[in-house]
Amino acid sequence: MRLKKKTLPPEMTLGIFVVAIIAVLCLVTSDFGSVNNLMSVLNRFSYILIASIGMNIIMITGNIDVSFGGVISVMAILMAAIGKTGAPIYVFMPAAMVCGAILCTINALLITKLKIPAIVATLATTQIYAGALPLVVEGSIYDLPASFTWLAFEAKIFTIVPLSVLMALVILAISLYMMKYSRFFKSLYAIGNNAKGARLAGINVDRTIILTYAIGGALLGIAATIIATAGQRVTTTMGAGMEMTFIAAVVVGGTSVTGGSGNLLGTAFGALLLSIISPALYHLGVSDSWSTAVMGAIIIIAVTVSAMKGIRTHKTGAKEA
Amino acid sequence: MKKLDTKRQDKKFNFNIALTALLLILFFAIGIKEPAFFKSKYLINIVLRNIIELGIMALPVTLIIITGGIDLSVGSIATLSAITGGMLFASAGSSFLAVVAALLVGTLCGLFNSVLVTRLKIPAMVTTLATMYLFQGIARGITMGESIYSFPAAEWLGKFTVGSIPVQILIYVMLAVLFVLLLSKNYYGKYLYAIGHNETAARYAGINTDRCKVLAYAMCGFLSAFAGLIMLGRFSSIKYTGGDGMNLKVVTIIVLGGTSINGGVGTMTGTIIATLIVAVLNSGLTVLNIPIDVQTIVQGGVLLVSLIAYAIIDRKAVSRKKQKLPVKAAAAK
Repeated sequence: MRLKKKTLPPEMTLGIFVVAIIAVLCLVTSDFGSVNNLMSVLNRFSYILIASIGMNIIMITGNIDVSFGGVISVMAILMAAIGKTGAPIYVFMPAAMVCGAILCTINALLITKLKIPAIVATLATTQIYAGALPLVVEGSIYDLPASFTWLAFEAKIFTIVPLSVLMALVILAISLYMMKYSRFFKSLYAIGNNAKGARLAGINVDRTIILTYAIGGALLGIAATIIATAGQRVTTTMGAGMEMTFIAAVVVGGTSVTGGSGNLLGTAFGALLLSIISPALYHLGVSDSWSTAVMGAIIIIAVTVSAMKGIRTHKTGAKEA
Repeated sequence: MKKLDTKRQDKKFNFNIALTALLLILFFAIGIKEPAFFKSKYLINIVLRNIIELGIMALPVTLIIITGGIDLSVGSIATLSAITGGMLFASAGSSFLAVVAALLVGTLCGLFNSVLVTRLKIPAMVTTLATMYLFQGIARGITMGESIYSFPAAEWLGKFTVGSIPVQILIYVMLAVLFVLLLSKNYYGKYLYAIGHNETAARYAGINTDRCKVLAYAMCGFLSAFAGLIMLGRFSSIKYTGGDGMNLKVVTIIVLGGTSINGGVGTMTGTIIATLIVAVLNSGLTVLNIPIDVQTIVQGGVLLVSLIAYAIIDRKAVSRKKQKLPVKAAAAK
């Protein structure tokens, strides 16, 4: 046993790093620090954070869901169809959450009951969800009423800060509290570290995993509400490819892709980093065409760093033994 | 000596025969409904020609999946390499240089994947999911989202015909034979199965597991680049989104062909038959005037159904083995 050195935990290092980047961007570029830009960054941050928390809960158990993008598209269209009738947000947002929970539970059933690897099962369902959508709707639903876009345009705190940010922070606070004190979260870590051991310890592994997907889907419903209500037009490909952003936020936040570890605070800073990439590139005068590459590179760097850390602790552990 | 259980052959009936039967049923069902399907011109130019790129990629990816890995970045490697080739030709004007550059880029992409997987021990799914975006992102960045046009060498690969048979079909047949031999008649193939069954045991048995895997990923990158050139030639131009969804189609083909997604089980013949099934299915749906979105669903559905079917069959096989065990133990006494 060695005494723990008093160093900053990795998620705080990441936090300082992200805040420093934002500070530098505000100083270097003329417009990045403008209220409008910061508010739009915060809006992006809020939906990335909410969805990433859902993704994080799933990834702690060692699973993954790459159908998040497809599910967002489905929910966005569902909400637009309901919202077109003039129904307010407290009608269509719960509908989206239920829809997300159901679709993600289908994924979970394939994974737990049929033992199909999570990534392959969810890749297949992405194809089905995304393929079914254009059959139901022709391209997009447009001319949506003001009641639909209420969240994006009217719901502001002190007439500046979008309400979505408050939603995200409340969800973050609740899940941070849960992470620290709830049995449910402890069982997630147990499953991610050793599913067989968790089963022997009396945890119903399959039911817990299904529950993580259902919660993830419901949280995704909230995120999809923020995404869909941003304009008067909702298209059938609204969420395509978004799952990568969420996975990136989680991985950058220090959650191991093999499961068993992870910290929601890290994920929050990861989400903040991911939400500034596009605007940062824009304000630095780099073409937006590079944003996909930058995101891919960030994910690879993040997994590489965490893998090297794993290898190093493994080696020192071997020496001590 | 007991044979390694590398095929799904101990289970009552032979999978490849079942797959062939499925292929014939589909083929004749579609052909009887729409007789134009049976014309040799249609069969060669539409049914076979459209599947060649996926077929070529499926060969090396089968090797990777047998080792227990996966490569989801094949589509991005194909577009990135083809785009590099096209851009180089546009600036340097040499077809030879363009082809070499494209194949080199593809191989390097494959090597990059393999380094992350073997040296840093990052799960193959995550590695290749990330590189899928990285490679596609680079392709998008260097082209600024614009289309890149074809050049003579790629044009030859995509459009040249020997007699009435397109040259890419001949290349595919040669590659298919080569890969069947590589997997079933070569030490390398046996090593791959061993790695898929139990990597640690394979390493202790003296197999350089990392080198085997690196070779598989590098071949995959090389052939994906090659497929990318064929695609560029066939369509005359390519965009960075050209490879979207290809990874899933390739995995569908391989899983349908009886290769276990968990590694250690599978045959190259199965992959080849499954390639033909998907070819017949795709062009069959087109011939029957079924909209493209339904085809996407069918694509995902086929993958899901084959995954579920194999999961159930495997579970039955396992429980049968468990039932047999006590009998054997009693006999040993």
